[in-house]
Amino acid sequence: MSEHAVSTLRRPLIDGGKDYARVSEDVCSPIERGPTSAWYYSIAASSTVLMIGVFLVVDQIWTGIGTWGLNKTVGWAFDITNFVFWVGIGHAGTLISAILFLFRQRWRTSVNRSAEAMTLFAVMCAGVFPLIHMGRPWLAYWVFPYPNTMGPLWVNFRSPLLWDVFAISTYFTVSAIFWYMGLLPDLALVAERANGWRRKIFRAVSLGWDGSMRTWTHYEALYLLLAGLATPLVLSVHTIVSFDFATAVLPGWHTTIFPPYFVDGAIFSGFAMVMTLMIIARKVMNFEEYITLRHIDAMCKITLATGMILTLGYCTELFFAWYGSNPYERFTFLNRLFGPYRWCYYTMFLCNAFIPQALWSKRVRTTPWLVFIISICINIGMWLERFNIIVISLHRDFLPSSWTMYHPTYIEVGTLCGSFGLFFTAFLLFCRVLPMIAISEVKGVLHYARRPEEGAHGH
Amino acid sequence: MTEDERRAYEEQDGREGVERRDFLKILGGSFAAMASGCDLHAPREKIVPYARQIEGQTPGLARWYASTCAGCAAACGVLVKSRDGRPIKMEGNPDHPLSRGGLCARGQATVLDLYDSERLKNPLSAGAAASWASLDAGVEKALAEAKRQGRKVRVLSQTVPSPALDAAVAEFCARHGAERVIYDEPSFAAILEAHRLTRGRAVLPRYRFENARAIASFDADFLGAWLSPVEFTKSWSARRKPDGKMSWHAQFESRMSVTGANADLRAAVKPSDMLATVVELSRLVAERLGRAAPAHVAGKTPVAHEVLRRTAEALAAAHGEALVVSGSSDSAVQRAVNGLNETLGAYGRTVDVAHPSYQRRGETGALDRLIAEMERGEVGALIVFEANPCYDHSRAEAFTAALAKVGALVSLTQRRDETATHAAFVATTPHALETWGDARPAAGVHSLVQPLIEPLYDSRSIIESLLAWSGQAVTAHDYVRGQWLKTVYPRHKGGGSFDAFWDQALERGVVSIDAPAEAHGALRAEALSGLKSARAAAAAGEFELDAYASVAMFDGRQANNPWLQELPDPVTKVTWGNVALFSPADAKRLGVEDGRMVRLSAGTRAIDLPACVQPGQADGVVAAALGYGRPSAGPIAANLPTRKLLPIEVDPPGGADIFPLASGSALSVAVLEQTSALARTQLMDSLTEPFTGRERPIIQEASLEEYRKLAPAEGVPENEAGMWPKHDYKGHKWGMAINLTSCTGCAGCVVACTAENNVPVVGKAEVRKSREMHWIRLDRYYGGDEPETNPTVAFQPMLCQHCDDAPCETVCPVAATTHSTEGLNMQVYNRCVGTRYCANNCPYKVRRFNWFDYAHDDLTQNMVLNPDVTVRTRGVMEKCSFCVQRINSAKFQAAEDGRAVVDGDVTPACAQSCPADAIVFGDMNDPKSRVARTARENHSFRVLEELGVGPSVFYGIKVRNAQVRKS
Repeated sequence: MSEHAVSTLRRPLIDGGKDYARVSEDVCSPIERGPTSAWYYSIAASSTVLMIGVFLVVDQIWTGIGTWGLNKTVGWAFDITNFVFWVGIGHAGTLISAILFLFRQRWRTSVNRSAEAMTLFAVMCAGVFPLIHMGRPWLAYWVFPYPNTMGPLWVNFRSPLLWDVFAISTYFTVSAIFWYMGLLPDLALVAERANGWRRKIFRAVSLGWDGSMRTWTHYEALYLLLAGLATPLVLSVHTIVSFDFATAVLPGWHTTIFPPYFVDGAIFSGFAMVMTLMIIARKVMNFEEYITLRHIDAMCKITLATGMILTLGYCTELFFAWYGSNPYERFTFLNRLFGPYRWCYYTMFLCNAFIPQALWSKRVRTTPWLVFIISICINIGMWLERFNIIVISLHRDFLPSSWTMYHPTYIEVGTLCGSFGLFFTAFLLFCRVLPMIAISEVKGVLHYARRPEEGAHGH
Repeated sequence: MTEDERRAYEEQDGREGVERRDFLKILGGSFAAMASGCDLHAPREKIVPYARQIEGQTPGLARWYASTCAGCAAACGVLVKSRDGRPIKMEGNPDHPLSRGGLCARGQATVLDLYDSERLKNPLSAGAAASWASLDAGVEKALAEAKRQGRKVRVLSQTVPSPALDAAVAEFCARHGAERVIYDEPSFAAILEAHRLTRGRAVLPRYRFENARAIASFDADFLGAWLSPVEFTKSWSARRKPDGKMSWHAQFESRMSVTGANADLRAAVKPSDMLATVVELSRLVAERLGRAAPAHVAGKTPVAHEVLRRTAEALAAAHGEALVVSGSSDSAVQRAVNGLNETLGAYGRTVDVAHPSYQRRGETGALDRLIAEMERGEVGALIVFEANPCYDHSRAEAFTAALAKVGALVSLTQRRDETATHAAFVATTPHALETWGDARPAAGVHSLVQPLIEPLYDSRSIIESLLAWSGQAVTAHDYVRGQWLKTVYPRHKGGGSFDAFWDQALERGVVSIDAPAEAHGALRAEALSGLKSARAAAAAGEFELDAYASVAMFDGRQANNPWLQELPDPVTKVTWGNVALFSPADAKRLGVEDGRMVRLSAGTRAIDLPACVQPGQADGVVAAALGYGRPSAGPIAANLPTRKLLPIEVDPPGGADIFPLASGSALSVAVLEQTSALARTQLMDSLTEPFTGRERPIIQEASLEEYRKLAPAEGVPENEAGMWPKHDYKGHKWGMAINLTSCTGCAGCVVACTAENNVPVVGKAEVRKSREMHWIRLDRYYGGDEPETNPTVAFQPMLCQHCDDAPCETVCPVAATTHSTEGLNMQVYNRCVGTRYCANNCPYKVRRFNWFDYAHDDLTQNMVLNPDVTVRTRGVMEKCSFCVQRINSAKFQAAEDGRAVVDGDVTPACAQSCPADAIVFGDMNDPKSRVARTARENHSFRVLEELGVGPSVFYGIKVRNAQVRKS
């Protein structure tokens, strides 16, 4: 073996001196061996919550949206808050797999697979809400411009809600394809290791992957292209979601800062959710040597940076409410600060602007339980951010005669919980049936910052 | 309603678990339960078309019939819209000399009373269904028994201004030696008595607000529910034109009434201080006019001298054109008012006693004497009609107790009300839309009541029943016709045959004849001396009660009417129940806030009500509306819980009965631990923002002086900014002008719109969640320098503004709300998927969402639905359409007549019913149209003009005849 220069500043991406066989063994073992009791407990809990959510949604569709706490003044609350929240969560996966790929951030390999899966599940959760928030969800297909015999009657291309339909469906499709493409080599590997019907299924879904040079060349070219394709979507989806508000006439919604502010907030919340999941997963699935403290550290740094941008956004918003000459907008922000929902605003500020400041400390960044708590705070804070934008702006708008309060019902709270049930159930099933770490990609970075003689005993 | 009955209703409701929240489903349940025994004469549907067309009847085309409103004794003229044999809407009759085309909220809601499935389906004898023959036999026997025992026969009613009915009662009385007793509650006996004492005749004058340049009102809510509000609103608003002669109006009252809200000067006065205030004002007026000062009375008015001085000056300056009215039930106050009116030269000009009003005839003590007779066991038979004496007056408890000593109680009623439940015989009466009758609300004004539908249930008119018991088998039609032949026709000037006269009277609904002036003596000065207030001031820590008839509920006779239960009180904005109103200072002192339960007690009687803080109310007064808390009115009045899945939605019965406390004694107030959230449609009362103190320029106001200094209005406000290309409205461009100076906030438009557009009723729990569905609402804002103690009040009808660049239109993903070529913002119900984005983006928050499938399974009640307007299903948005169905029918009519649509062809329901003529609708593209002129000339503004959405509703600046703070 030739002399291999290794910078002392670099640290290996994967700990534990793994070799290729070890990696395959480690990642595939959870899906080859029977699930642990912890997995059973987790899926029991999450699917129970999911079932409660399903029951509540059925009840709400059966009975009417009136089972929610909405009223003549506040027409959206938990529904669209949850939608924007979940779409935001869905940003980290594609960001990690596409943008970090383009930026050659090789540490992404340990987390990209599950982050992408998380993206898909989050977008699925998000997609539920625009559907069920409709007064007549059974007619939801009317929002698609399909050929019809009603004139034909087209959709309203001026409506930001319609733009949402396209943005979200495009994002979901591209993310799903990207994720599936990345899975192909690993699916083939799992097929190789399996017998019987599992082998057949995995063979089929690996689309005839043969591991040849040609296949790898095509694969890498496609992966790069898809990464390029997915990158603008990361920015466009939340930009368009923000148009729902930015193009409206309502003070607190009608603002040009929203597109960058929403995208940044989405990445911020997405990373927080990735960390929440990864910190649990690395412990439960014994992946601490793959998802190392250095991974957490890197994600913390991104979280900190996006959090600072977001704080700047909050301050800019307040500044322009004061500096601008729109008295309605000024009132809206004073109402956020001092109105009846002020505790939501303060909690949001605390969770999104102040608590993440702890991540300046390396000790905090490398203490998983602290990072876990911070990530949960960010999740709460980001949910409240959307709640603040939607509800606090609506409940006191132009004519004081319509001002009123919004109080959620148990159906709305339960539906939010149910969406978490859907998210975790889907994620747990994913952990059970698919390799949750990109085996082939990890193998590619196994030698990173390592002398060849360290590890890699045979392939 | 007892607990058992309530439970029975809930069981009939019978929907455990997941269910629709149809409020009226309960009614449907009970209706279905009774369906087997019920004989329902709905118009019989034919599956095959008519072989021969019924003359004058085209299926699908509405016909209008003139009749008289039976909602109260004001007897306004109405036009009733009938579609395929069903009366579906009541509107004011423009030919009626009193109401002149206006109709109040309660009057318009009477059409729903017709289709109330809680009405009695057949006569009852001893509580069981009976045939008319057996009922008549029973009543005859009871009358004979009374005669045999030498006991008295009494006929009891509230005032019904019907000469034909009076004649029938007289025949009955003559036949049975009976005596008629008339009472009114709220009572006007004090006015009658004051005139008996000061003028020698117990007469209720006809007040002529149209002749009044200066008005002072003492607790008379004449624009709200007092005496004849539609007539008074018409004539009052006719003199509120800032461009012409604008009257000046001062209001002295204990609570904030609709009238007080519209006054130029307002002072809060306790009922016990009213006499001293009138006398002090009289002294100041006399001083200015150089007349003898009135006799001194005990007590001192709390009203600031400055206020009285200004009032006295204004009244004295308007000598001969001044009017003082009082709603006080204290004869001393009324006598002082008569003296003041005499000083001001009001008699003959603004107070007409020569051609008086017959709208109230109940005299002092009549009912008390009857109760005393009953208690002594002297009454052998008591016939009650058009009254509910076991509920609707302050001595209802004593009356009910005394019924035990009455031989037989015969109740003529439409419903199993509180009195009917005690009656031996219940003769079911038809609704006014099912029978013949007449009315004479004022001297020389005779109107007819004609049936528009075959009686839905087995009923017989009061006239027919009374005549049957007098041994005459005459139909109401023949009897009324005969009466008119005898009394009206001879004095009618037109000549011609009686048949022609009768047909014409039926067509127009009303006949004006020259009534001879009734003689009355000169003022008797001695009646004005030694005045003593009948209402003693409450002791320290106690409260005086102001039990008032509210705009929506009046005395509770329409308590089971869902439109009225859900109609927000114009001032308090509370629906579905009454509240105990406290002044802000009293509320602070007691430590109560909105919704805190309080116990009002006088002696042994106590009732619990939720408190509500009312700016502008007199300290030391607790005010509460009458008419609520009826035990036997039906499930709507009882406000039954409708959805049992959510325990938070179970409501206590709507309101409490305030009549037992209404006799005027002092009350003590105890604050309870419980709370009961108010079902209020407006929670924010002020245009002043919290935190900033900025006053939002939603309503523009000016004093009369400022208004006259304004440069002549030029043109209509137009959109200047905007990114959208301008619409090119080639044909019509519909627009509306609303005059905020005229609008009194009477809420007539709200019920008009509800009836016209099939607006659903949602119930108390839903109103609490801010989900009322009204397409037009009356925003009410308090302002001024003393927003707590004496606020200025502004009403603003708010409806879809039909913006040119409507924010709702751009955001709908499925294009369910679109712009018409005539400027209408249209909601396409069957395209709507219910995202509610449009409502969020509406700056006026006028869009209403169908959160549930509302209330359409009471089949009887559904008969009131307007077939021209879609009944919306769950999950779709709805809102004001500018009555597009009326626009279209006007276009069809014009096309049929081969002409263009001209100004005045289209009148939306709200504009039609408005007693103040505050709403004008028409084509903005026609510069000569009334709406274009009004919008141009009235210094109009558009709400939130600065948003650039280009609303089509133009509000005329609100002018007060007083110095007001600039906004």
